[in-house]
Amino acid sequence: MAQIPIRRHRLDNGLRVILSPDGRTPIVAVNLWYDVGSRHEERGRTGFAHLFEHMMFQGSANVAKGEHFAMVNGVGGTLNASTWTDRTNYFETLPSHELELALWLESDRMASLLPAMTQEKLDNQRDVVKNERRSSVDNQPYGTAEERMQALLWPEGHPYHHSTIGSMEDLSAASLEDVSRFFATYYAPNNAVLTVAGDFDSDAALAAIGRHFGPIPANPDLPPSPAMDVPDRLGGEVREVVPDQVELPRVHVAYRIPPFGTDGHQAFDVVSDLLGTGRASRLYRSLVRERQLAADVAAFVFPWAGGSTVLAVWATARPEIEVDTLEAQLLDDIGRLATEGPADDELARVRTLHAAAVESSLEQVGERADRISQYACLFDRPEMVNTEIDRYDAVTAGQVRQGMAERTGADNRMVLTYVPAEDVAEDAA
Amino acid sequence: MTPPNALRPAPGTPRPYHFPDFTHRPLGNGLTLWVVPLPDRELVSVQLLVDGGAAAESEPDGGIAALTAETLVTGTRRLDGHAFAEATEQLGIEIFADSSWDVARAGFSSLTDRYPAGLELLAEMVREPRFDEGEFDRLREERLADILQSRSEPGRLADEWFLRAVYADDSPYARLSAGTPETVEPLTVEQARTHHAQHWRPDRAHLVVAGPVEVDEVVGAAKATLGDWDGTSPGHRTIQVADQGGRRIVVVDRPGSVQSELRVGHVGIERGHPDYFPALVMAAVLGGTFSSRLNQRLREELGYTYGARAAFDMRRAAGPFSARAAVQTEVTADAVRETLALVEGMQAAPPDDAELREVIDFLIGVFPLRFETTGGAAAGIEPIAVYGLDHDWWATYRDRIEAVGPVQVHDAAVDLLRPATALIVLAGDAARVRRDLEAADLGPIEVVRPADD
Repeated sequence: MAQIPIRRHRLDNGLRVILSPDGRTPIVAVNLWYDVGSRHEERGRTGFAHLFEHMMFQGSANVAKGEHFAMVNGVGGTLNASTWTDRTNYFETLPSHELELALWLESDRMASLLPAMTQEKLDNQRDVVKNERRSSVDNQPYGTAEERMQALLWPEGHPYHHSTIGSMEDLSAASLEDVSRFFATYYAPNNAVLTVAGDFDSDAALAAIGRHFGPIPANPDLPPSPAMDVPDRLGGEVREVVPDQVELPRVHVAYRIPPFGTDGHQAFDVVSDLLGTGRASRLYRSLVRERQLAADVAAFVFPWAGGSTVLAVWATARPEIEVDTLEAQLLDDIGRLATEGPADDELARVRTLHAAAVESSLEQVGERADRISQYACLFDRPEMVNTEIDRYDAVTAGQVRQGMAERTGADNRMVLTYVPAEDVAEDAA
Repeated sequence: MTPPNALRPAPGTPRPYHFPDFTHRPLGNGLTLWVVPLPDRELVSVQLLVDGGAAAESEPDGGIAALTAETLVTGTRRLDGHAFAEATEQLGIEIFADSSWDVARAGFSSLTDRYPAGLELLAEMVREPRFDEGEFDRLREERLADILQSRSEPGRLADEWFLRAVYADDSPYARLSAGTPETVEPLTVEQARTHHAQHWRPDRAHLVVAGPVEVDEVVGAAKATLGDWDGTSPGHRTIQVADQGGRRIVVVDRPGSVQSELRVGHVGIERGHPDYFPALVMAAVLGGTFSSRLNQRLREELGYTYGARAAFDMRRAAGPFSARAAVQTEVTADAVRETLALVEGMQAAPPDDAELREVIDFLIGVFPLRFETTGGAAAGIEPIAVYGLDHDWWATYRDRIEAVGPVQVHDAAVDLLRPATALIVLAGDAARVRRDLEAADLGPIEVVRPADD
């Protein structure tokens, strides 16, 4: 693959800056990762990191409410932000001659969010976020699966136990005081990574970054990372059955696995593709094509770096198929990969699919910038963006088998099953 | 004195950008080849477009175009379903095939050195498909399961019922292009074979190849794989469109819903409408960007929703226009009223200069972002090929957006929006929204159950 240029800098206030020039198209991506996510939330404030992300679009000292979106859109740029367990990211892609606009907007809110905060804005965005939760979780079939999975895989009080979207109750409790404290604690240059990728002049960009971000003071008292310790395995099988507004049952199986960024995790990246990527994958072949038990299947890992993360697999039952039959076959298919390990041609298949997928993602300056920020923020190694394919290809059949043997047994298994609520009601009647 | 960082920085000098140059070359058998050379890329995007979408179906067989496309990827005479998946995926390629109203597509994206082998497999799939009965039946059952599944998804429920209620019953657009349970259930593999034999033909087809390729080399590869593909196709039928017309409210009952999925609209315009550009800009002012009137009002002022938007779905014949949002159940009637008021507002007066400028600058400025990837560049060729647009479509696109003024936007709103007779569909908890809707007096209310057919 073509090597992506990585030029690292650090401002005196601790802001890590990575420049990755590429002039193929006259557009540029600005991407900030703040090292704060839902795992940093206090008890009783689940969902706050994400609610705070919304407040970052409500204006700052020199930018009015709504202007951030309006200014970036107004030059033909696209933008957004997202929050997950480990981080919060903010990003713009825009015509390259407007690079400094994005730098200015990002620096203004990093420097001076609080003067623009009002109770009215907080109440408005609280309502918006509650509607986001309704749209993506409460009013969607299987919408609560990820939240329930986290609750089953990590113990009460663990930072991964609760969902990033948080509870309605905790969202209601969030105050302006919380906004101030969160901002002062986490939204500091020494807790962030800024990546610029695309069409720009490095010297000019660095000068502009210094001008806009240089004056922002560091937080000398960044809190230590929350304790993430947890045993390698669950210590048993955990199960839950959820009657929901669904037409077809779906079974989710998940396992606690080593965290993103480790060799142990890399093997599960490969596992998820062996199981669920492509029509030649094990689960598609077995459950969808040959046995016709499932209408669809999926397998994935979450790139979480806090001590442990998850391999998740799900399959939706075809009409008339008993969910127990589907689960038994799904577990059998997973078990066979653990005992047999993958064949050479299976590994070849997922490696070439993976290489094409990586190239496809990195074609976009926005995605390139995001991955660079990710590796810089989580591991302080932005150049890992250039070894994604090599690291994946280095995983051996033996490592897959060993990882599966250690982590996919019944002593580390979560089974979460969604069933149509009316079936449950009929059974009870 | 103003602090140094208080002011928006001045823009630099824009670098000129234009849609990538492309070559268009008819092969002898009627197939048109489009090549978009993009040096310094790692990927090649290949798309075969045929005039075999849902518009080419006969109405009782609704869904056969989609199922035919899906069945194509289940193997060739030489390779069964799994062997075909294996052969493509060993190249790092996932071949797709799908169908919309106006076009059926098959294609892939691959690392550059793999595309000739990928093109060979694509050609084999299109020319010598297996159409195994077991695989066809499986895909039909999966489609039926998906339709069943959609009844629990409020957004899809609202979309489906909106089409059913906005178009007259005998209009094909009253259904989704993938068909209804009634039309899909009886479909057979024989019908898929027939649809393929009639419509997957070269005479109305286009092959688009974008990436770090030389034109001559692509011409050679296309001729070698598809040059002696033959036959002619009847093409699509003319879709007759009729609006049911008249204001009414259809509540698709989903008890327990904490939100209502709202659709407000009517039959819109066709892709070739002379007011394409004013309509595009007008819809963007109303609901095409974050700062649009709908999103500003319903989200940023009222907090009723996570997001609201509006757009024309333009097809060969007049597709629907709709404003849409998922709103909290408690504010459903208010959200409907607000939405109607915003649509009416578009007709009341031209947009102010700043508002219009932001939308036009967005549509013009975002132009290079749309074609950043090889897939994006290939997608840029599709409307030119499928709708027969002028080859300078993208070359003149930004000027034509720029030329839209407030008067044209206002005229488009007056001519193309019909708030007084707009249909209102919402998927939500009927028992909890009905009283407010009645009190709002917005029109006659009909409550339907998702399973009603």
